[in-house]
Amino acid sequence: MFPLSTLAAQALLIGGVSVLMAVMISVIDSIVNNYGDVQLDINGKKQVTVKGGSKLLGTLADQGIFLPSACGGRGSCGACKCQVKSDVGPHLPTEVPYLTQQELRENVRLACQVKVKADIGIEIPEDLFNIKKLSCTVESMTNLTYDIKEVRLKLPEGSDLTYTAGQYGQIEVPAYGGIREPSARAYSFASAPQEKDTLEFLIRLVPGGTVTTYVHKFLKVGDKINVVAPVGDFRVHDTQAAMICVGGGSGMAPFRSIFRDMEARGVLGERDIWYFFGGHSVKDLYFMDWLKELEAKYERFHFIPAVSEPGPGEVWEGKPARLIDVLAEKFKTEIPRELIKEGYLCGSPGMLDACMDIMRKNGMTDDKIYFDKFA
Amino acid sequence: MKMTEELKKAQANLVPGAIVEEGFLGHDRRPLADIIQHDEEAFAEHGLSWDAVAERLKYLLAEGEKGLGEPVTVEGKWRVFVYEARGQFACPWEDGLFHKDSVTVQRLENGHPVGDRLVFNQLCIHMLEKHHFLEGLGSSFRLHPAALRNVLNL
Repeated sequence: MFPLSTLAAQALLIGGVSVLMAVMISVIDSIVNNYGDVQLDINGKKQVTVKGGSKLLGTLADQGIFLPSACGGRGSCGACKCQVKSDVGPHLPTEVPYLTQQELRENVRLACQVKVKADIGIEIPEDLFNIKKLSCTVESMTNLTYDIKEVRLKLPEGSDLTYTAGQYGQIEVPAYGGIREPSARAYSFASAPQEKDTLEFLIRLVPGGTVTTYVHKFLKVGDKINVVAPVGDFRVHDTQAAMICVGGGSGMAPFRSIFRDMEARGVLGERDIWYFFGGHSVKDLYFMDWLKELEAKYERFHFIPAVSEPGPGEVWEGKPARLIDVLAEKFKTEIPRELIKEGYLCGSPGMLDACMDIMRKNGMTDDKIYFDKFA
Repeated sequence: MKMTEELKKAQANLVPGAIVEEGFLGHDRRPLADIIQHDEEAFAEHGLSWDAVAERLKYLLAEGEKGLGEPVTVEGKWRVFVYEARGQFACPWEDGLFHKDSVTVQRLENGHPVGDRLVFNQLCIHMLEKHHFLEGLGSSFRLHPAALRNVLNL
């Protein structure tokens, strides 16, 4: 047995050594990783002095400049691309899979992977300067289906957010459970741009999804939540071409925004629109009354719902079919071939590819097919 | 089982924030070597083959992808839902990149989903097949050996 005083002395010694080592590590880190102030040149027009040592994505965010990012800066989405004009070293293995050969040649980088160590010049699209981080308040949450929620957020006073129907926002949720840092994901607006003080999103619960799990299980009315917006270039093109729109599940969100915007501007009845919306079973469908009302109100608006496998006991008047099969069928039977058409798609890569194949087979060209890919 | 340098490197990549926000270990505090060894024993107890499980998961993933973002019924036995998300994950063993997706599989009885639910992605299949790693206890994407046996009919 050791006397208590000896054990206490040993514990004190170990504790002291630990503290000393922690201080030494901190001092060494501050010396080795102290890059001091560096100059950040943006588009050759804006120069700011920033503290070196952080990732470019975060450094820009600190300056109020938000690049698109769907993974919260972990190098797993490839969205935060920007052209770097100065030498920041070779591309990292984490960047290469997301970049084309041309982007590699032009030194396009993922901002979340580039560390700002010295003066740096970058080129970014001018419209990114309009993106803001907004501290919103959850106004309402409505279950549209068993796995899709409508989340309505109140914008902060005086935020003056201007966006185009079809764009999206990045919702940031705080650390929770085993997740130690805030996480952000991109979701299309479902609200109309004319609603100046609110934003709406349709969020589907993804099993194992970090942000969707938080939204569905923990987020509640009255909570504060950050949204980085507006982002994206999906929008309706100002032509008279017929719009062939496809968006099932939560892929309805941009179309809800687009149709509400067109109605508010009094142009919804001015061009032919086919909207294809579907789900696995009847319980996956929502906003059906609203869409049927639009169809009844506007002669040129055609709403085509689809259900692939009605559940036991469910009543579905039409023939069960996948959304893309219904799309192919309507091209044969209902959509006039001679019409000039534009495609508008929102959904998973597989769904979009399948829709594009059908559209090509029916005389549409890729340059007239616009999409908002989930992935 | 010994923690090799390879396993030590992988374990560093399994913590929250290294590759994915949640990490791969859940609330499991055991060394990676112990987690793998325990699951290898459990696989043997349940009479499961790593290759057969991986092949069945790949098959269900491929069938589920045909749903194009909506659930599908496979062979009248399983309800499979594949959600594709943007981007890719690196394997913690640093031997590949895998598309981010979320696959949910449940067994059907009289058209209704019943029993255990498997949630996995392409990286899970790779880690199961190549590294015998099913993720730690409490991880959202952990594949419990008993649940694999029950759901996959193996």
